[in-house]
Amino acid sequence: MAVAAGGAPPPSSEVPLLYRRGVRRLLTQGIYVALTAVVIGYVYTSLDLREFGFGFLSEPAAFKVGNQWLTDVDGVTNSRITMYLVGVWSSLRAVLVAIALSTVIGVLIGVARLSSNWLVAQMAMLYVEIFRNTPLLVQVVLVYTILLIGAPLIENVVNVGDFFFISNRGMAMPWPVPDSGFWGTPDWFVGVWVAALLAIGFVAQRVRADRQGRERETGQPHYPNRWALGVFAVGAVISFFALGAPVSIDEPVIVGTHYIEGMVMEPEFTALVAGLTLYTSAFIAEIVRGGIQALPRGQTEAANAVGLSGYQRLTLVILPQALRQIIPSVTNQYLNINKNSSLAYAVLYDDLFRVANIVQNKAGHALEMFFVIIVTYMLISFAISVVMNFFNARVTAQRI
Amino acid sequence: MKKLRFGLLAAAVVAIVALVAVACGDDDGDGGGEGRGNTVQTIKDRGELKCGVKQTQPLFGFREADGTVVGFDIEFCKALAAAVLKDHTKVEYIDASDASTRFELLNEEEIDVLIRTTTITASRDRELGVDFAQTTFYTGQGFAVRTDSGIDSTSDMGEAIICVQTGTTTEQNVADHFTDIGLEYDPQGGLSQDVADAFFAGRCDVLTADASDLASRIAVRDDAADYKILPQIISKEPLAPGVRDYDSEWKDVVNWVVHGLIRAEEIGITKANVGQMAANPPNTEVARLLGVPFQGGEVAALGFDSVDPQFIQRAIAAVGNYGEIYDRTIGDNIPRACTLNDLVLNNSGCPDGQGGIQYALPYR
Repeated sequence: MAVAAGGAPPPSSEVPLLYRRGVRRLLTQGIYVALTAVVIGYVYTSLDLREFGFGFLSEPAAFKVGNQWLTDVDGVTNSRITMYLVGVWSSLRAVLVAIALSTVIGVLIGVARLSSNWLVAQMAMLYVEIFRNTPLLVQVVLVYTILLIGAPLIENVVNVGDFFFISNRGMAMPWPVPDSGFWGTPDWFVGVWVAALLAIGFVAQRVRADRQGRERETGQPHYPNRWALGVFAVGAVISFFALGAPVSIDEPVIVGTHYIEGMVMEPEFTALVAGLTLYTSAFIAEIVRGGIQALPRGQTEAANAVGLSGYQRLTLVILPQALRQIIPSVTNQYLNINKNSSLAYAVLYDDLFRVANIVQNKAGHALEMFFVIIVTYMLISFAISVVMNFFNARVTAQRI
Repeated sequence: MKKLRFGLLAAAVVAIVALVAVACGDDDGDGGGEGRGNTVQTIKDRGELKCGVKQTQPLFGFREADGTVVGFDIEFCKALAAAVLKDHTKVEYIDASDASTRFELLNEEEIDVLIRTTTITASRDRELGVDFAQTTFYTGQGFAVRTDSGIDSTSDMGEAIICVQTGTTTEQNVADHFTDIGLEYDPQGGLSQDVADAFFAGRCDVLTADASDLASRIAVRDDAADYKILPQIISKEPLAPGVRDYDSEWKDVVNWVVHGLIRAEEIGITKANVGQMAANPPNTEVARLLGVPFQGGEVAALGFDSVDPQFIQRAIAAVGNYGEIYDRTIGDNIPRACTLNDLVLNNSGCPDGQGGIQYALPYR
């Protein structure tokens, strides 16, 4: 084939038809449109969409959802959508607790893997290798089975000082319950106190910024974080008592075979959260280790050279820089926790997916229900992403 | 290089055209499938009956350690295979243990018949594309508790944790019942095997399911004496084989095999004497039921054209009559005398208000 001199494109008449840019674009776009049309057409004709709609969600549920906390929805007078929202709340609870726990444990294990103490490093490695290399489903079901079979029956409950109980119906523990206080109802108190805490938090933030500024100007330590924490703690305590300290501690009691009062952490919840935490913390540990090891050795040496202690070196020099690497990857792990929470199905935990399944079993409308399920998971994921992107923007704000 | 790329592009185009063709072809197929099915012919062509059964419920449908599936429902699969295929071993047992997908298995034609402790209800009949044949077992929703629990009826179950299978009529019955009696309860839902395990592990106070289901799960346990089933029944649960809608030929065969097995018990035809009865029928009715001539006369086919007249005879020869099936698979684990599953014929000796309702329709 003749090559045109000087790299100029050959006249279009010389290019074979299928290699002309315009023809190719037209072809690929045509194929794409055709495929989309076929898929949509196929779905539309093969599925019966005449009854497509979400009206079924507002009908009475006629079933009851378990593992409720802070809600008491009976399912006979309530609609299906209400039951579904109870399931969403159960999912959210498990996801939030698992995110918090797996972050703390993951960072600890990740740092421990780099420890100069041989035993600590080896144990951290063992933890990572075990929980990273076994399926999450296996871990969740294993924990559930252990809790169900291993924990004592409620008749032989393990009683720790009459305020903490362990049986295979869950762990019961004391829990603060808001009272009326000096004014208004418990709800009123909670609302006012949360508003007060937000205001105090804002003040604490101002104090911190001010101290940081002075630290930068003078070069003398002004302990911005300790001051901010102190202001917040003092403000919280004062506002709490100013409202009449209206919180009573609800201690669990066993009546017959039931826990009443207190907070009961049911084995289904524990199994799901424990499984998610063990599995995800192993990955987070590796991300933390990778983030730290990616820093040049010079950072550690420089920190040593200016005489920082090991703890200072980690918190002031290493982690702030490593976070730039860590946060995007950890965000992915948080999203995984959200998605993996649907494994609740295996341990009888009434999460959003299980409740949606019950609704679908009763009402049909599988397509609509899956649409609702997918949108819910996506919304939770988006919320996690937004929060994590905010943190990411904070740590990457400083150019290095 | 350029030739190769052209090849790839051409291959992609061919693949897409093929895909479109396949998709359209499917559409045509669906459009044509609106008429009546003929499952009997399908079974004969295949040479095997696909029976959707439960594999997790002792006494009714349970997979043994060696992989064989046994139970009350299984015997009806064998009877149908004997009736249609003349060989009761030609059955493929498809796992329909998951309550939430059982009707899909039927509608997707993964199975020919669903014999899996399934309750007849109006909404299922109307909405799920299923038709129910003659009831094989009558039960109702009951409650199992531990013997030492001090619970004697649902009115003692305030605040109790109740293990209940989700995706079934059971959870709605229990929600309705507790609303009616004005008590609170705490549900623990899941697959039937899972909630039973949770109950026996002590996770909940009460297990609710069909009374026969409860009995079957307790009966096979070493510590069966530690559990009791309350006499209270809160619902009607007639369990029946399910077939696809618009297939009356196959539904007729299933129906009359069940009626035939019950009739055989009523008039004393057993697995042991069916051969002798067929060779020398004592009366015209036995001859009709077994599809043999009476004193050199004609064989009455009764208009069944997809199966030959001896189909009920073969079913009895394979599994015995209804009573024999019951005794062999359920036996004393769920007492039969004077309960709903006893023959109406036997009711004379029963206490007032009790007695069976099993009654075969006339085969003539």
